[in-house]
Amino acid sequence: MTIEATERVSVDEHFPTDDEYKGLLNRRTRRARFFQAACLAALTIAVLALATLLYTIINDSFGLVAIVNQNDPAAIVADLGHNPSEVSLDAVPYDELVGLLEASVSSGVGRRLERDQRFYDDRLVFESDAVWTEICSSAEPPTGCTAGPRDQANVFALVQERVVMPDVIASYELVPSLLNPEGFTDQVTRGFEAGRFGEYTLEQTSIEWRAWFNPTFLRTPQNSIPEVAGIRTAILGSLWLVVITLLFAVPVGVGAAIYLVEYAKPTRLNDLIQTNINNLAGVPSIIYGMLGLAIFVRVLEPWTSGAIFTDGVPPAENGRTVVSAGLTLGLLTLPVVIISAQEALKSVPDSLRHAGLALGATRWQTVRSQILPVALPGLLTGTILAVARAIGETAPLILVGAASFITSDPTGPFSKFTALPIQIFQWTSFPQQEFHNIAAAASIALLVLLLTLNAVAVILRNRYSRRAE
Amino acid sequence: MTNETTTEEADAAVAEEQTVSLPDRADGSSSQSSARNVIETRGMSIYYGDFLAVADISLDFAKNEISALIGPSGCGKSTVLRSLNRMNDLIPTARTEGEVNYHGENIYAEGIDPVQVRRTIGMVFQKPNPFPKSIFDNIAWGAKINGYRGSKSDVEDLVREALEAAALWDEVKDKLRESGYSLSGGQQQRLCIARAIATRPDVILMDEPCSALDPIATLRIEELMLELKRDYSIVIVTHNMQQAARVSDKTAFFNVKLDEKGMRTGRLVEYSPTDQLFTSPEEKETEDYITGRFG
Repeated sequence: MTIEATERVSVDEHFPTDDEYKGLLNRRTRRARFFQAACLAALTIAVLALATLLYTIINDSFGLVAIVNQNDPAAIVADLGHNPSEVSLDAVPYDELVGLLEASVSSGVGRRLERDQRFYDDRLVFESDAVWTEICSSAEPPTGCTAGPRDQANVFALVQERVVMPDVIASYELVPSLLNPEGFTDQVTRGFEAGRFGEYTLEQTSIEWRAWFNPTFLRTPQNSIPEVAGIRTAILGSLWLVVITLLFAVPVGVGAAIYLVEYAKPTRLNDLIQTNINNLAGVPSIIYGMLGLAIFVRVLEPWTSGAIFTDGVPPAENGRTVVSAGLTLGLLTLPVVIISAQEALKSVPDSLRHAGLALGATRWQTVRSQILPVALPGLLTGTILAVARAIGETAPLILVGAASFITSDPTGPFSKFTALPIQIFQWTSFPQQEFHNIAAAASIALLVLLLTLNAVAVILRNRYSRRAE
Repeated sequence: MTNETTTEEADAAVAEEQTVSLPDRADGSSSQSSARNVIETRGMSIYYGDFLAVADISLDFAKNEISALIGPSGCGKSTVLRSLNRMNDLIPTARTEGEVNYHGENIYAEGIDPVQVRRTIGMVFQKPNPFPKSIFDNIAWGAKINGYRGSKSDVEDLVREALEAAALWDEVKDKLRESGYSLSGGQQQRLCIARAIATRPDVILMDEPCSALDPIATLRIEELMLELKRDYSIVIVTHNMQQAARVSDKTAFFNVKLDEKGMRTGRLVEYSPTDQLFTSPEEKETEDYITGRFG
């Protein structure tokens, strides 16, 4: 249907005639449709990329495994006098788990475990008291002399590692596991026929479902055996990093933003500073890592190793500590925090500043009582998103020396540590499929942590913007 | 009346707060100025960077009078108004030359803190700009930051008096805890006036206070100004000549002059009692403007 304007009085020859206009209109409409479709295609590509990412991670984190337990956990539970259908191995009392270890591992291994971390506060299991006193008074006492005793999750992990000794000989991805479980059985059988699994026999092997991402995985410390490894160490390390990054980046970043927005006059120097902050936000993170290595790990070592706070005896042997890494991530985040805080402050209308100042308030009174409350939701959101971005960073942490293998939890700002992205990076570099499975499971944990932080940002924003109205 | 005693105490408390050399506002009997004038400008010129915005303004604003500044757009009347309490300082490039004497004391002299100037010479803006807080807090905040030491009930009295003086009390007395934004535009502007007078200023500057309001709200503000001039001296910038004629005692007419380089600079053309300016202006320019031949 077309609308004819035959009655038009005023005519300008530069406009197209009605017939020409119809042709033009068709061309314009086609062009509009094309660009709409192109934008939709762009969106589809983005969604597909995201979906593929999630698919890959989840596909690797769950699926069928062919597993050989050196000792059947159910049999162990039954031997201890519990009903295997009611009590699982990780719920067996602490003392009995320690007893299992005592019975199973060699005394040399046992002593080494005890020197890493004791089993009881008040008694020794593998070492004799005399030797213990001697090694603890030596020049370099092992960590077990000072660290607290192991807990249930820790000892259960040891039992898994040393007594049950599960060995995943083959694993299958989630989608084929669901669609074609027989395929996996065939694959395992063929593997045995080809003699690929060494001394194991098909009868020893059980095929079962395994969620690599599971509560035990979150609770268990790092281990060199993928079947029993967990990410507790890495999660705690990442949380410590978040805390230190926040403590550094928020006050400094918001303070700098307040100065730049509320106080700084548009001088050439201030323009230069502003430009540099914008540029710093784009500096690659590895360069911040080099900066952190040079400053926090090397120059400030007495502080970052904690030596200066403990009369010269450093809690960590060098500056490669949580606090060094947290400050490095804080520096990395700082420009983004400053920029987003500036945006939040600039969005507060000038009329409020004028209103405050015209009443005889000082700049600071106006900022404190009128500007900051209005800018708060924006400040919080920007800051949390910036920090959330930082906890996924890997490169600077590798440079400032996150330990890639460490089994003890970080206990304070001067601990050695590892972090989730480091753990994922390390595991994916191993050839065995099981490491890839736990790397995928750790990725899920990292994504959940990021989403949680983002959700906190959204909740805070909604809460405070409602209050400001 | 308990109310009055408490405000006097409050007044005294606030007056003690002032430390630097601004004269006491009550009857600043300074020798070199007429006691009837609260503000006198002497040869005041205001620059934005290199641009001369207004040149050589000498004006006297009398106590308990309403003085109006009128003129076409861009003639610098708002600039002049904002320089009377150093709000122009907020524009980084702005610079004021000449003197602005408040009870004989130059407010641009060294050692004068603009914070103190603004607390004594309050301001109401073109667009109502209440704080995004409750009506009560909007008014109490100005007293609080200026060191008000009264008890909780003193603050309540202060808020009530300010709202009564701004003819807003009856409309908002039941919703003092609601946001200032819940009010209509005219009510918001009266809230801003109440907020300004709650800090007990001496002079109130009003920058086109009715330009965002409808005629009925405008009328209420005008009535309010006539009430307020018993206690305060008011300087008002307005686009509306009828408004100037209705409320003001004296009117200053500004106009734009082009210099040889084509720069537009505002100059004071005529400053006379309002009746005289609107009935028998001395200058031809003024007559052209008020009879609507330009502007």
